Amino acid sequence: MKKTTLLGLLMGVISLSSFAQNKIDFREFTLDNGLHVIMHQDNTTPIVVTSVLYHVGSKNENPERTGFAHFFEHLMFEGSVNIDRGQYMNIIQSRGGTLNAYTSNDITYYYELLPSNELELALYMESERMLHSKVDQTGVETQREVVKEERRQRYENQPYGTILPETLVRAYAEHPYRWAPIGSMDHLNAATIEEFQQFYKDFYVPNNATLTIAGDIDYAATEAMVRKYFSEIPMGKREIYRPNITEPKKTAEIRDVIYDNIQIPAVIQAYNLPPRNHPDTYALSMLSTYLTGGSSSLMTKELVDKQQKALVVAAIPLELEDGGIFIMYGITNMGVDPKDLETEVDKLIQQVQEQGISDLEFTKLKNQMENAIVSGNSTVAGIAENLAEAKVIYGDTNYINQVMDYYSKVTKADIQRVAKEYLDLKGRVVLYYLPKSAKPATE
Amino acid sequence: MKKLAISFVLTLFVALGLMAQVDRSKLPASGPAPEIKIKEAETFTLPNGLKVFVVNNTKLPRVSFTLVLERDPILEKDKAGMTGFVGEMMRGGTTNRSKDQLDQEIDFIGGSLSASSTSLFASSLKKHQSKILELMADVLYNPTFPQEELDKLKKQSLTGLAQSKDNPQAISSRLAAAVLYGKNHPYGEIETEETINNITVEDIKKYYQTYFKPNIAYLAIVGDMTKAEAEKVVNQYFGKWKKGEVPKFSYPMPTRAAKRAVALVDRSSSVQSVINVTQPVEMKIGDQDYISSRLLNQILGGGSASRLFMNLREDKGYTYGAYSSIGADKLVASISATASVRTEVTDSAVYEFIYEIKNLVENGVTQEELDKAKAELSGSFGRSLEQPGTVANFALNIERYKLPKDYYATYLQKLNSYTVEDINATAKRLIEPDKFIITTVGNGAEIKEKLAQFGEVIEFDNMGFPAKQLEAEADMTAEQVLENYLNALGGKDKVSAIKTAKISMDANVMGNKMSIAFVYDSENDRYGQKTSFGGNVMQKTALIDGKGSIVVQGQTIEMNEEQLAEAKLNSYLFPEAVYEKNGYTLTLDGLKDVEGTPAYKVIIAAPSGAKLINYYAQDSGLKIKYENPASGDTYYSDYQQKDGVLLPMTWTIKSPMIPMPLEAKVTTMELNVPVSDEDVK
Repeated sequence: MKKTTLLGLLMGVISLSSFAQNKIDFREFTLDNGLHVIMHQDNTTPIVVTSVLYHVGSKNENPERTGFAHFFEHLMFEGSVNIDRGQYMNIIQSRGGTLNAYTSNDITYYYELLPSNELELALYMESERMLHSKVDQTGVETQREVVKEERRQRYENQPYGTILPETLVRAYAEHPYRWAPIGSMDHLNAATIEEFQQFYKDFYVPNNATLTIAGDIDYAATEAMVRKYFSEIPMGKREIYRPNITEPKKTAEIRDVIYDNIQIPAVIQAYNLPPRNHPDTYALSMLSTYLTGGSSSLMTKELVDKQQKALVVAAIPLELEDGGIFIMYGITNMGVDPKDLETEVDKLIQQVQEQGISDLEFTKLKNQMENAIVSGNSTVAGIAENLAEAKVIYGDTNYINQVMDYYSKVTKADIQRVAKEYLDLKGRVVLYYLPKSAKPATE
Repeated sequence: MKKLAISFVLTLFVALGLMAQVDRSKLPASGPAPEIKIKEAETFTLPNGLKVFVVNNTKLPRVSFTLVLERDPILEKDKAGMTGFVGEMMRGGTTNRSKDQLDQEIDFIGGSLSASSTSLFASSLKKHQSKILELMADVLYNPTFPQEELDKLKKQSLTGLAQSKDNPQAISSRLAAAVLYGKNHPYGEIETEETINNITVEDIKKYYQTYFKPNIAYLAIVGDMTKAEAEKVVNQYFGKWKKGEVPKFSYPMPTRAAKRAVALVDRSSSVQSVINVTQPVEMKIGDQDYISSRLLNQILGGGSASRLFMNLREDKGYTYGAYSSIGADKLVASISATASVRTEVTDSAVYEFIYEIKNLVENGVTQEELDKAKAELSGSFGRSLEQPGTVANFALNIERYKLPKDYYATYLQKLNSYTVEDINATAKRLIEPDKFIITTVGNGAEIKEKLAQFGEVIEFDNMGFPAKQLEAEADMTAEQVLENYLNALGGKDKVSAIKTAKISMDANVMGNKMSIAFVYDSENDRYGQKTSFGGNVMQKTALIDGKGSIVVQGQTIEMNEEQLAEAKLNSYLFPEAVYEKNGYTLTLDGLKDVEGTPAYKVIIAAPSGAKLINYYAQDSGLKIKYENPASGDTYYSDYQQKDGVLLPMTWTIKSPMIPMPLEAKVTTMELNVPVSDEDVK
């Protein structure tokens, strides 16, 4: 009897632990000034990641001043009242750390990864950024040049580099998603220093930020340090501008040709998606994996291996807060007419819409998703980012522990249904990317 | 408990402290350095000699198995490249599963499985562990080495080799290996078309049978698995693996150059030079200078705050990045400092490299630099520990390099104990500034003479073999080269007698047929060219009535003046026969090595400024290459007689825009037939 109990207990422990392994434990609190703080303790490695997510992206910009949010991602490394110009990166590196940042249509995210005894430094650096960053003429001019180079390197000089901006501008008629985070150089050139300072005052405020600390920390000591450096930062005075614009449903296809510095034509299709926290997001994500995830996926097998009409095909759901786009692109194989490739892509979409997917493929899909979700939380840096997004985008930090449940609710029928509902051939954007040499001279 | 109390006190203290202003004027000091606990791997050995390391990490329900073979490097000689095929061949099918079945079964569980000549790697979620182990064992014990898989791999490898001959980075690393270690060393021998074609399925089988033995193998298990479970599964899957005698090899230590020299590969289309200032070094993990050389390198060129980066990029703007490395290897490694720089500043950049290396050895490093390097390396060491695989690597290194058991446990202590004097002594011991080889891949005509100031300039070809010493005869002229060419074709009269030509060619592009058709009409200055795939015209060029047009995918573009000038120059089947009449100027730019054939390089320039660059073989006089930096190079071969004139029947086009050389063969050639405007259009 005792033996059985022990065994039962053991079994219980085992099954519990295999369930618990995926659970991310965390603590959170909010300061009086509105700053939301999330902590996750993991003492296995003496490192700590400190990140701040500012809930500002290109969609919060004035349509006459696009590119501001991304520009700030650069400007915010210029220094602060107490940190000399250009020293931000140097300070972190000389204490053994690394750092980075990115900007999307919805958010701007900064993080430092340091040895755990440098947590106070990281909090100090981030609080300096939030309290009194340098937003002055010199910094603006320096970073304008850097952003120009970035623009050249990543968009203008990069084959197919303009796919995102060119697609967005057609996929949205009214919503500010119609411009990409890189924005307009003219807008940045025209902006006055007062406008930059106002943007900082409006969006770089504690009530628009989420501070996440993950790694080798002590919860109480960390909370104390956070309070020390962030409590004095005043709350923003103005209401934070969040666009409340519903993009009208497209009823006709938008079709265009872009001439780029490329040799091989590409076909791009874009379909509007529901808001990121909509239940159909999971089925759509699985649909994209079914279509192009891995060498045995439907389109890769059919179009790249068998028919050899495409060098590569990819379906990427760009999930955004107010509803993103499902972008599909195919780069044609030598000598293949883009029209020909497009026809085949459409046939396969229609095949999923009409016939759905097999049980075998559905099981494989679930295994692939599970592997991806499990691996998504393998580093403290990844966990911090997932925690912050869970809170800001999904409204609940514990969402990080529920992702798998949402995916497991998706049925085979759901995948067919979302293919029908969202991949509407009549309400999409189709772009052909053709070599510049193919551009008619008269144009 | 104690920890809790401290936190509580701390909270209280800080809360009280809040009343006072936070002093933001100075950076918070570092806390007490955290104790870096490096988990030890658990080990056990099977009776067949297989050594197993287990790093149990239950953070995620995943597990990985890495099998590593510890054998001496192999000199492959006339089969160089063979070991590169072993892994893919093992994954190419087993007695139980075809390659497609293997792929499908691995994908189905979301796992991965790969192999090389000295390793086998498999990983999956914990719950699919049995399946991935079953697949791993199948690949380990039952590979069938299908001939068609080898044929496919050889084809890919030859395509890769062809591409690499025009890739300056690839040329540079091949050259460095050859000059550092010599062709008769495993690290210096070079794969060629010939050695790849020599490889047989039997060679690979023999390799597999000789070296895949448990007594030279380590198995690292990382993830959700205890030692007890590991013992069970390892016995189950690897217990019956039979041991065997494995041959050992040793090689003489490569020596450094007696004095500084330059090894140059002339790549005339280059706009940048790839520079590598390098010398061999004896350096193994665990050596006296191993850790101090990490610090030394960090200061010289380890990152974006290093001396090389600050000097060559930030200060001079010669390059997008300049870095250095000091390798570590059981046999031999290299010290190397590299950058890709604009052609014009090649010699200036080499000068700065030499200055920085010399300065480092002679004047040493500063305390500030050392402190920063220590912080950077400690930080990255700490971050690396987040990956559980790091601990397995440590255990593996301790075994392979016979390191003290606490080598990694005390690594940071050791790292932080080095003084400026220690680093300076390491620099003096390891680096000999006057014995570097400076390898350079770039435009020889622009840089060769300027590089002579750094030492003897020895030329190599794009495969790392010494370039043939080529020098055009002193009395050779461009006019003479063209005359020889026309004579070789059959004489100027016969060539001039060809007024019109229609030529069709076919090429195979990834399984699709591409056709190219040319129409030449030199009397009426008409020219047409059409490229089509499977009957669909993709691109057309036409010159009629002094006007040029290009049609790409149905869109017509009128040529501008510049394009027209270049197109006109290209519109003659034999531009060599009309240069006098058209007022073109000729320049002979020496004798060059064209894929092993010495050839005269002649530049034909039109008054408009448009240029043709052609190469004529020294022995046969025939034109063998047409060079065009914008659109790619064309190689002519298989000359055959048509109407008394020799014409090339195979045109091989190499261009950065196409993934592999395009071999077009002439299918029809009609000379002196009537040509209409319709033919041209």
